[in-house]
Amino acid sequence: MSVKKKFKGLSDKAVAWLFIGPSVFLLLAINIYPLIYAIRMSFTNFYANKIGREPQFVGLKNYIKVLNKEAIWEKMQVTANFMFWTLLLQALIGLGLALLLNRKFKGNELLTTLIVLPMMLSPAVVGVFWTYLYNPQVGLFNYVVNFFYDFGSFDMIGSSELAPWSIVIVDTWMWTPFTMLICLAGLRSVPNYLYEAAEVDRASKWQQFIYITLPSVLPFLLLALLFRGIENFKMFDMVVELTSGGPGSATELASINLKREAFEKWKTGYSSAFAVILFVTIFGFGNVYVKVMNKIKER
Amino acid sequence: MKKIMILLFVSLFTFSANSNAKSITLGWAAWDPANALQELTKEFTAETGIDVNFEFVPWPNFADRMLNELNNKGKTFDLLIGDSQWIGAGAVYGHYVKLNDFFDKEGISMNDFSPATVYAYSTWPKGSENYYALPAMGDALAWAYRKDWFDRPELKSEFKKKHGYDLGVPASWDQLYDMCTFFQGREIDGQKRYGAAINTERGSEGITMGVTAAMYAWGMEYENPNKPYDMEGYFNSPQAVEAVEFYRKLYEDCAPPGHSDAYMVANLDAYKSGQVAFQMNWYAFWPGVSKEDSDGRVSGFFANPKQNVAAATLGGQGISVVKYSDKQDLALEYIKWFARPDVQQKWWDLGGYSCHNDVLNSPSFPTSTVYAQGFLDSMGIVKDFWQEPTFVELMLPMQEAIHDYVVNGKGTAKGALDKIIEEWVEVFEADGKL
Repeated sequence: MSVKKKFKGLSDKAVAWLFIGPSVFLLLAINIYPLIYAIRMSFTNFYANKIGREPQFVGLKNYIKVLNKEAIWEKMQVTANFMFWTLLLQALIGLGLALLLNRKFKGNELLTTLIVLPMMLSPAVVGVFWTYLYNPQVGLFNYVVNFFYDFGSFDMIGSSELAPWSIVIVDTWMWTPFTMLICLAGLRSVPNYLYEAAEVDRASKWQQFIYITLPSVLPFLLLALLFRGIENFKMFDMVVELTSGGPGSATELASINLKREAFEKWKTGYSSAFAVILFVTIFGFGNVYVKVMNKIKER
Repeated sequence: MKKIMILLFVSLFTFSANSNAKSITLGWAAWDPANALQELTKEFTAETGIDVNFEFVPWPNFADRMLNELNNKGKTFDLLIGDSQWIGAGAVYGHYVKLNDFFDKEGISMNDFSPATVYAYSTWPKGSENYYALPAMGDALAWAYRKDWFDRPELKSEFKKKHGYDLGVPASWDQLYDMCTFFQGREIDGQKRYGAAINTERGSEGITMGVTAAMYAWGMEYENPNKPYDMEGYFNSPQAVEAVEFYRKLYEDCAPPGHSDAYMVANLDAYKSGQVAFQMNWYAFWPGVSKEDSDGRVSGFFANPKQNVAAATLGGQGISVVKYSDKQDLALEYIKWFARPDVQQKWWDLGGYSCHNDVLNSPSFPTSTVYAQGFLDSMGIVKDFWQEPTFVELMLPMQEAIHDYVVNGKGTAKGALDKIIEEWVEVFEADGKL
């Protein structure tokens, strides 16, 4: 009876806190605390593997070192190239496939299922089996390319010119279905009466695409690209399995470099500074992107 | 119902009996010698009643997995057969138990083991009498070649005509290059063949282990022998630069297509599938290669060829007791058993590479296998990468810079070595060594 009374006496605010409390606690423990800890570490010369050695405050030294290191900018450039090409290709091919699958034809469901299969695979597994597909001696990729035009023997993951493309191709193969599915959802939400009205107004198919389809599907496409952009900024497993960041450092993305600095070289302070810089970059870009996306949505 | 109850009771009893049994866990890399050790250890269990569980980690993840375990003071392993380069970190960071008192108590003398292996696998600081491991698996980087191709009269005469000397075990890296280019792209038995499968792996230590085989043979030193950590003019000496340039030439002119990220298994596969005339690999793999060639007709083996000096890249490991283990006494019992000369002889017989003098100095040893003499030769000339506690930090920049130059074709050999020194100086400064 007293317990019932006690709960009855809770204010709405208290009940609300009771519900969100566990989530807030988890968020603080799992996300916010490590973030604050990493920021703190980024101002020290801490090495996690040097047991018993107290971290010393070094001010902005780690940040200056990261920003002045030529190799870091090379990795950022590799990451930017990877993101640009994967997002562009996934947007174009994903939208194209969505337009194709939005039509009613025999085998539509089966084709959709087949197309989305790659994204259900583990990225590490994808990385491993594409190393075989890219093998210049027995790989299917070279065979198929040479079937259309005889380039001779070429090594996709051993050549510094081709290796960056090798990871772009695999990521596009794997994740275009994701963009396609989101775009398809967008296409299916466009009311038919808009097209009927356009037909009445004698709008051509191209005009219907430009003035009805594209504006309707664009917020969906941008959302898909936001997700893919965030994912690709932190891309790790597929690339490590496929190229290990090589040849040399031709495909060493920022995330791979960060892992090597943090958990192989154990430069905890330095890598925390690098991680904070990456976080601020993605957070900044993400915010600007969301604002642009919302403006497009409002139009 | 009664039967089910009896069955449950028996299962419960068996489970509790098992959980009370004495057992230890040994960690090592997943490769042929590990299987041999597993086989050998059955005798230990039979003698002592101590079960030994094994956790073998594939080479590309071996260092990551084990070093993380040690850094986290994990209790998964009681015994660890860790790479030679880890000994510094094992000792300095207190991951390994110091074994001197135990050796004294049990009458285990390091004089009974090959000096090169004791120096490389057991001591820290290097050359001191502080022992943190028992030499477990001697190893060095060596070469296997297609003896059956080399024995073909038409190829022999063609080679002699072209180069003026016999096709056979190369006496220098220059000869190795001649032979590799001789086979590169050549059709033998209707199949296109290539020169050599060499180490080019980027992720862990592969290309470093490969290129240092050349650098040591050219006479490279890591540092000024009179001034530790003074690397300028030593690690990037003209000889070292020439060796790195040579390694790139070997990769460009003699490696099979797609061999841009290859290490142990990839080299072995390229060789076994008949793609290449030579493979660079660890002695640990030779028992496996030899097993498939019982009459010794197909494969021949030789130690790393000399160029300016005779030298070979050291592999191999010592066995250590993990400081964080709750079963150190059982782990030490295993080491005591493993150090016995009779066990060491069985270890060699099963395909492991014993470092015990009784085994190595036995008159029958050099002829016991086709690669035994080469192993003896190699162990007398081995050189190792830095064994500093910071060896991972030292390895990574070398992997990147050498791969960038050799495989990616970027920059110059001198530039790559200078870049490595720059990074190493930073590591030694952070470690308080400079």
